Amino acid sequence: MLTGKGFTQVFNVKGGIKAWEGVKAWGPVELNMDLVTGEESPGEVVVIAYGMEEGLWRLYGTAAERTSQSEVLSLLERLGSIEERHKQDLVRLYADLGAGSESDLRSQAVYERFEGGGRADVFLKENDQAFESAEGCLQLAMMLEAQALDLYSRFAERMSGMSAREVLYKLAEEEKTHLGLLGGLLERVLGRGKG
Amino acid sequence: MINLKQLFSHVSSLDPAEVKAYIAENPAGSYTILDVRQSGEYEKAHIPGAKLIPLPELDGRVNELPREKPIFVY
Repeated sequence: MLTGKGFTQVFNVKGGIKAWEGVKAWGPVELNMDLVTGEESPGEVVVIAYGMEEGLWRLYGTAAERTSQSEVLSLLERLGSIEERHKQDLVRLYADLGAGSESDLRSQAVYERFEGGGRADVFLKENDQAFESAEGCLQLAMMLEAQALDLYSRFAERMSGMSAREVLYKLAEEEKTHLGLLGGLLERVLGRGKG
Repeated sequence: MINLKQLFSHVSSLDPAEVKAYIAENPAGSYTILDVRQSGEYEKAHIPGAKLIPLPELDGRVNELPREKPIFVY
C-alpha cells in the first residue's frame, strides 16, 4: 500500500512486536498528551521536559529515603545524579534557545508529573516492589525512559511549529542515550549476579 | 479482505536487531516507526516512538507519513 503511493523506503519489521527484544512502551496514543496543546514554543517545550525530569529526580529521592538496602540506595542516588545532569542539559538548551535563564526555567516548570508523564505518589505505590532490588530499579528506570522517549515522540507529532518539533526529537534522542546507559548498568548488575 | 502479503509484497523485511541498530545510529525524527495494529494492541505494548495508524485507516491517513524518511512497519 505504501510503496504504491510513492513511498520508497518501507521496511517490514520481521516478527512484529513479538520479536522485538528491546524495552517497549505502553499506553494509548493520548496518554499524558494533556501536557501539551501543540502550540508550544521551543522554550515552552523545554519547560515541560524540565518539570518531568525534576519530577523523576524527586521520585528517585523519595524511593531512596524509603529503602534500607545499601545497593538499592547507591543505585537510586546514581540514578538521581543522572537526572540532575539531564536537567542541566535542559538548562543549557533553554539558554541556547534564547528562552531565558535557569531561574526563569525553574520558576515556570510544573513538578507534578515525572518523566513520561506519570504521577510520583501513584507510581511509587504501584511499583514499590521494584525498588527492592538493583535489577528491579534499573528495569523500572528503563521503562520510564522508554515512556519518556515515546511521550516526546508523540508530543513532536502534535506540534504545529517545526522548531518545537525539532526540540522534541532532540529530547527523544537524549532518552535513547539514557536508555543505552541504563541498559549498560543493568548488564553490569546482572553480570554481578551470575555464578 | 486485506491481503497482508500483497500489501508488503514490494517491501523489504528486516530483522528486529537490524531495525534496533538503525534506530540507535540515526537521530529520532529522521525515521518513522509505524504501528499498523489496532489501538488496543498498541496500548498493551509498542515500540517506543511508534506512530499508530491501524491498517484499515492507512489509506486515508497516508499523508501523515513523511515520504522522505525510512518507515519501519509492524
